[in-house]
Amino acid sequence: MLFPTIEFGIFFLIVFAVSWAVRGWPESRKLFLVGASYFFYGWWDWRFLGLLFLSTFINYLAGLALARTERVGLRKFIVGVAVVAGLSILGFFKYYGFFLTSFAALLEAAGLERDLPFMQVILPVGISFFTFQGISYVVDVYRRHASAEKSLLNVMLYISFFPQLVAGPIVRAADFLPQLHRPAVLTRAHIGVGVVLILSGLAKKMVIANYLATELVDPVFFDPSAVGALDLLIGIYGYAIQIYCDFSGYSDIAIGVAALLGYRFLENFNQPYRAASLQDFWRRWHISLSTWLRDYLYVPLGGNRGGEFKTYRNLFLTMFLGGIWHGAAWTFVFWGAFHGAMLGIERYARRKLEEFAPAHTDPGGVIAAFGNSARHIVGVVATFHLVCFAWIFFRADSFETAAAYIEGFARWGEASQYVTPFAVGLIVLAMIFQFTPQHLGRWLARIVQYLPSPLLALLLGGGIWLIWAVAPEGVAPFIYFQF
Amino acid sequence: MLDMLHDDDRREDAAAWQARETVRSVRRMGLTLFLTVLLLLVLNSGQLVTWVNGFDVGPVQDRIVGLSASWNEWMEKAGFTEPSEAARENVNNARQVNWDEVWRWIEQEQARSREGARALRGMVGEG
Repeated sequence: MLFPTIEFGIFFLIVFAVSWAVRGWPESRKLFLVGASYFFYGWWDWRFLGLLFLSTFINYLAGLALARTERVGLRKFIVGVAVVAGLSILGFFKYYGFFLTSFAALLEAAGLERDLPFMQVILPVGISFFTFQGISYVVDVYRRHASAEKSLLNVMLYISFFPQLVAGPIVRAADFLPQLHRPAVLTRAHIGVGVVLILSGLAKKMVIANYLATELVDPVFFDPSAVGALDLLIGIYGYAIQIYCDFSGYSDIAIGVAALLGYRFLENFNQPYRAASLQDFWRRWHISLSTWLRDYLYVPLGGNRGGEFKTYRNLFLTMFLGGIWHGAAWTFVFWGAFHGAMLGIERYARRKLEEFAPAHTDPGGVIAAFGNSARHIVGVVATFHLVCFAWIFFRADSFETAAAYIEGFARWGEASQYVTPFAVGLIVLAMIFQFTPQHLGRWLARIVQYLPSPLLALLLGGGIWLIWAVAPEGVAPFIYFQF
Repeated sequence: MLDMLHDDDRREDAAAWQARETVRSVRRMGLTLFLTVLLLLVLNSGQLVTWVNGFDVGPVQDRIVGLSASWNEWMEKAGFTEPSEAARENVNNARQVNWDEVWRWIEQEQARSREGARALRGMVGEG
């Protein structure tokens, strides 16, 4: 069940009405929301409902076991077993075919061909997201950032809550579980935030992302060797905008729907293409994943506590594994490794640059301010292009396609086939919103929250109608569903 | 923007106020959603027909398909579907625009701007 469909609209109306009707009975409300979330997940493939429950139950039991012991060694063992169990399920469903194919290629290269037990394994939608949420729960309980839940229902709702179940944002146990112990609240602010985020998310996904995909990005990536450099350049800018609007659009709708049901998720995107460095980019892009990787991978690896070399190693490993998390393909591995390597190089270069030309130094004044602004602008442009270069590997279905794409940048003489004023207009429009004041959404939500119901309906209904009217026919799945 | 959701937590009577506010807000949002559905049924009846045509065959489904088609016809006769068609047509026109048209439009705008400036200078001269 995709968000921008009539099915989801009907589903949400029922969930909204029933969940608020039973607000006075918190346990019934949670039970209903768990049932609705499992129904939502089963709409894709009911066979994986058991897997979702199994993953939840393992983490629930681990949480209970952690609450019953103070022995450090035993606690480590319990958290280790739970994490390994979760990663094993993820590994089997997501990486079995990838590892076996890679292993077969390795054997073939060594002249040792063997019959390997290949299987057609279907990837359960959202498995990467609910596995990471399960790990977050167990590790938070282990670190005593969250209390172990005695209620299985609470853990089930935390892991399966439908707005974030299939494509995030990755919600932390320490953020979400305390909300289940308070009565659900719906205020004017929730309505303002919810309506603004749902409309902006729908517009980003259905209009900008879908048009860029069908009119520019898909044709250019279908055969990069058949188009010129201008198509390839604008094509990758288009993909940068498409994936941002697709994924942040999904996150916006998820956060907005959760707000209308009385729950708060954290922000997942914050104008990432205005970042002046890769480090800044990762503080603004898929924030729930980058902070998850920081807290549950980078910090346990040692973070920046073991000297320069270990810091670079940990940065690289974290991004490398983040790349693998995205998908079972070497192009994703390269994408993660590239970001890891560039983050290390950037960190080193910034340190050296600070030694030679420190920012905000005397004599100050106009020249220093101009220098800092120029450095910032160069940083934004360079970061955007580095991110775009990495997106080529993220989007390409193979290294051959990515190589053909990069080689094509030499063909500047060829006429453009897909760079239309419409596509360029969409890219420019989306880029403008990367540089609008950061509190624009807050200002809009403040206005919306005080609108009377008929005007609010005119805004919501009129907005949905307009988006449906101008969007391309049909609903394309969200890019992050495949992860 | 999401920090707005915690603005009211700092009130002294937060719990009691939130309970009262929740009842009001649920009513308000419920009415909003009801009016939104009505608005979409009126303006977007074509989408409804497309959606119900995807149903399996059966007596109940056939009845729903028939009702939706009738509803869409009424909306068409009343002219409520025209805004959707106009919006789609405008977007399709925008998609067809090529760079020659864009440059021509820019030249026209520049010429108009020059003409305006010349006229303004003329008026100043006469004065």
